[in-house]
Amino acid sequence: MNPQPPSRRDFLKKLGVGYAAGQFLFGLPSLGWAASQSRKQRIVFLFSPNGVIPKHFWPDNQGRDFDVKRILEPLASFKDQLMTLHGVCNKIQGDGDGHMRGIGCLLTGVELFPGDIQGGSDTPAGWSMGISIDQHLKNKFQSDPEKQTRFGSLEFGVMVPDRADTWTRMSYAGANQPMAPISDPYQMFDKLYGQAKNRQLLASVLDDLSEDFKRVENLISSEDCHILKEHVEMVRAVEKELKTELAQSQKAEESQTTDLGHAVPEMPPNVETENDNMPQIAKMQIELLVNSFASDFSRIATYQITNSVGNARMKWLGIDEGHHGLSHEPDSNEKAYEELIKINTWYAEQVAYLAKRLSEVPEPGGSGSLLDNTTIVWTNELGKGNSHTRDNIPFVMVGSGLGWDMGRAMKFDRVAHNRLLLSITEAMGYPEKKFGNPDYCGDGPLTGLL
Amino acid sequence: MLLPSARPLFSLSSTLLLALILIPSYSVCAEDTEFGLGTKIYSQGCAECHGEQGEGVQSEYAAALIGDASIGELAEVISDTMPEQDPDLCVGEDAVAVARYIHHAFYGEAARLRNRPPKLALARLTGEQLRQSLADLYGSFAGNTWAHEDHGVNAIYFDGDRWNDKKRKIERVDSVIDFDFGHDSPGEGIEPESFYIHWTGTLKADRTGDYELVLRSTCSCTLDFGHTQRKLIDNHVQSEGRTEFRKRIRLTAGRGYPFELSFIQRERKTDQPPALVSFCWVPPGGVEEVIPQRNLLATSFPPAFSLQTKLPPDDSSYGYERGTQISRIWDDSTTQAAVEFSQFAGDELWPLYQQKHKKDSNENRAKLRTFLGELAETAFRGSLDEIARKLYIDEQVDATEDDREAIRRVCLLALKSPRFLYPTLDSNQTASRRVANRLALVLYDSLPVDDWLLAKIQKDELATEAQANQTAWSMVSDYRTQGKMRSFLYHWFHVGGTDEIPKDSEAYPGFDQAVVSDLRASFNAFVDEVVWSETSDFRQFFIADWTFTTDRLATFYGDAWKPVEAEGPPLRRSVSDAKVRMGVLNHPLVMSSLSYYKTTSPIHRGVFLNRYILGRTLRPPNAAFAPLNPDLHPQLTTRERVSLQTEDVNCQVCHERINALGFTLENFDAVGRWRETENDRPVNASGNYLTRDSKTVTFEGASDLANYLAKSDDCHKAFVEAAFEYFVKQPVTAYGSDTLDRLTDKFRNSGFKVRDLLVAIAATAATEPLKTQEEA
Repeated sequence: MNPQPPSRRDFLKKLGVGYAAGQFLFGLPSLGWAASQSRKQRIVFLFSPNGVIPKHFWPDNQGRDFDVKRILEPLASFKDQLMTLHGVCNKIQGDGDGHMRGIGCLLTGVELFPGDIQGGSDTPAGWSMGISIDQHLKNKFQSDPEKQTRFGSLEFGVMVPDRADTWTRMSYAGANQPMAPISDPYQMFDKLYGQAKNRQLLASVLDDLSEDFKRVENLISSEDCHILKEHVEMVRAVEKELKTELAQSQKAEESQTTDLGHAVPEMPPNVETENDNMPQIAKMQIELLVNSFASDFSRIATYQITNSVGNARMKWLGIDEGHHGLSHEPDSNEKAYEELIKINTWYAEQVAYLAKRLSEVPEPGGSGSLLDNTTIVWTNELGKGNSHTRDNIPFVMVGSGLGWDMGRAMKFDRVAHNRLLLSITEAMGYPEKKFGNPDYCGDGPLTGLL
Repeated sequence: MLLPSARPLFSLSSTLLLALILIPSYSVCAEDTEFGLGTKIYSQGCAECHGEQGEGVQSEYAAALIGDASIGELAEVISDTMPEQDPDLCVGEDAVAVARYIHHAFYGEAARLRNRPPKLALARLTGEQLRQSLADLYGSFAGNTWAHEDHGVNAIYFDGDRWNDKKRKIERVDSVIDFDFGHDSPGEGIEPESFYIHWTGTLKADRTGDYELVLRSTCSCTLDFGHTQRKLIDNHVQSEGRTEFRKRIRLTAGRGYPFELSFIQRERKTDQPPALVSFCWVPPGGVEEVIPQRNLLATSFPPAFSLQTKLPPDDSSYGYERGTQISRIWDDSTTQAAVEFSQFAGDELWPLYQQKHKKDSNENRAKLRTFLGELAETAFRGSLDEIARKLYIDEQVDATEDDREAIRRVCLLALKSPRFLYPTLDSNQTASRRVANRLALVLYDSLPVDDWLLAKIQKDELATEAQANQTAWSMVSDYRTQGKMRSFLYHWFHVGGTDEIPKDSEAYPGFDQAVVSDLRASFNAFVDEVVWSETSDFRQFFIADWTFTTDRLATFYGDAWKPVEAEGPPLRRSVSDAKVRMGVLNHPLVMSSLSYYKTTSPIHRGVFLNRYILGRTLRPPNAAFAPLNPDLHPQLTTRERVSLQTEDVNCQVCHERINALGFTLENFDAVGRWRETENDRPVNASGNYLTRDSKTVTFEGASDLANYLAKSDDCHKAFVEAAFEYFVKQPVTAYGSDTLDRLTDKFRNSGFKVRDLLVAIAATAATEPLKTQEEA
């Protein structure tokens, strides 16, 4: 029997690297612990709102020989790693309007609590009664030393409005515990790299600082210089330590240039979180997501574009009206219909960009690319915007994190989406009998995916 | 003359002699016994030629007796040679005694260090000063605060679930936020099914520490805290079962935090929950309670910053915190603090600045440069010269295109700079600036940021002592000063160390954390009253026959703790009772802190009275002793047990002073309750005190002691000295050998007004640069 490979922590301990320095050094793919035997499975739940135009979304043909429709066209080059799942329905009833249940029950598979948020014509509701699948997997991963990561999960947002309500929250840490996504890429950057970045900045200013100590000494008596001297020595020692640390990471970085570009990604300066910057923000967030996967900061992520009822105005596509407004238009409104196709295609482009970036990064310490070990689950709160149906929720998978037999268009017969959630947790290594409301889990995980 | 004498390092001046005399009881206590014989022989046989303090006598032997010979060597020399006219007169034991005495009193290096008058020492910001300075640095952009009279919370009640001026039904100040409307209307003209209450106010923290804010609400509610964009609690969605919201946050003493609390009952098709809301907290060391009215201001202060970074404790071996230690952990904490501040500078201050300066030119990122320049000048307490501006601003801005990164660079560099971290590195600034810097440091633990104060600097109106004094008067009632005063009094009355006071629940049933929390509130309110009321009189600390109390305290402590008014706010004035109450001298918070788990501790109380209240110095005990176990001496009272343990002559050197004071408080048990018997025997609370000028005062009990303290010179001087050193964080003797006496006289002549004392202290410390300038 082979001996257990040492854990990352053991490795750090042997190197004599402290925890913080470890985070700094090992935020780099080359040094991330590579000897883990089982592959690192990852998953991203990517949300876009207001349903799709089914006719231009779902393939007509099932199986391997499926046709890629207009909206999915940006994903055509990933056809082999693509799976569409038609016929999966969010059947959760109870309080809340279609949009609320659409997003609030999407990853939780359970009803919303009674509450006071009134939307549309249904009853008002509060938060979800249960944990969402991403947080469920995070808890499993974090309690397994082999799969533990610094953050466990990361919640990315793209222009999610700055208010907490049932329409803006997809992820739940538990009953009545909504998780707020981070929509400001700079804030996410700080969360991921703040410490490393600050140390870089510190290293670059300390030299100036010790110079200034000399000037300041002129302001005081020689007796009092004692404490300043002691202080500046401390500053120099820290500076030296940081320089050594940075030189090491520089070296590591250079050997990785082909993989990642930069260990600490470069962010474009001064991008405000506002509607017109959405394309840029979407890309920045994707870069951060890919980097954090490559650095093994987390293996689970959500990526939420706006919110349920999201009203992005895609002026860059020549569309002035908000998405939600348009989604209520009847199919007969040709202009709106066409614009909705364009909007959804834009979302598909984001999915494709994420897939592309994942495919470009080699799996650290493994074979293939990140995409070979990651599944993007692209989903939506509605099947179709103007009917508010939660039948045929657009579930599109890209990548091989779940180990399913990809490159197929699947068709199910109105199965409850709880079963898909069961399939996901099973594929991630944690089979469950039920997830969310047990009434919708009856037949267990979906079959035919492997 | 053969004494091995080095060249005198300095001559003993009269100042030195005074300083020597001021060095209190350590030497007095020690000389009486250890050095008694040596002192006697020296003064009778040696002083004539060598001077009383070995300073030399011009006509006889002029050189001072200083050097580095050991006691043995000295003894040998003395034995062999002294006195000159008859060397056989002082030999053997006598010679050793003299050698030991002179070595200790002035000859040895340690003695010389001890005798050297203290000087002002350059010190970095202490943890609290760093915290306060960053709060004000933020405030210099966010806006000044003020002392606000009205306590409570501003409330607007709307009919309907949103802001609608036409449906504004009630506007008033609510004393606290604690309502249970059930299914009823919250007020006239408002439908019970649909209403909106909008509370705004400012939460005032009296103490630096971790607070837990607890919002309970059955309906939709949101709480912005510290800034309108900082949503601390977001329960916009009412969701069944989610009704309690707790957040921990570190707040800074003497600071007000604006908040906005929205509470909405929404009409709906389904059943509505009853409407219930309360805004509570768990203050440091306290228990959960509705945030009391005295901590709520019915106004909205400007946004506020409170550093969350944990800072290491400062050296307090001198009885007050001093920033004299440079350690790695401290250095790291300053980095963290700078990083934390830079976030707020980037997220909140920079957008605010841009908004205020929309019309300014922005060529070459001029706005950013000006913003950062102002930030650095405030942090550095003075103007930036060209070199500094280039280093701290321009080079950092030019290093990155990203504004937030530039802000972060400047914050890191400036807030780790000695120009910020050493508050008195300002000899290159104007006299008015330097005086203002010291006033803010002494009174606020911070830097000058208030507009009116900056205007005085600008107009150079702080360049005389009178101006400094007048300005100190304008600053002394500030919340920041009040916060610092509170923590000083915690220190002086020895109640700041720990928040938990565990006691044996069998012996003292009912003495729990809630009682301790109420005692703290009582102590706080009382000392505030003594310091800040118009009738302020320090002596009330010892002779007031009333206090503040709660119903809970009345239940536990009995009739003397009954409130005067049966109804009223939780904390209110107690009845008078001169028998069991001596100001805060015997306040249960003090008494229970200075007790063991089951029994009182006359030793702790005696040490406290000697060291703190009377300012006397005590030597540490000869060894560590465990107190005698009361269970092994069931027939003895505490007094008898302590006497038994300390009867050894070596212990008695100090314990005759310690015990004699500690015993006077024996009528107050380990939780501060009045008692007349212990173990069925009457309590003996008699005691005495030997004053600095060697007068013995006797006491029959705590009441005599209290009356004595109120008029005791030793006590007055101890308070003045402790206050000076706590506020200034430098030894008072460094400000002139007569400063302590001068301030004490002034204090006495003011009728013991603590506020006046504080102004005098601040003015003394602040005008030090003016004097140095004159001398130069």
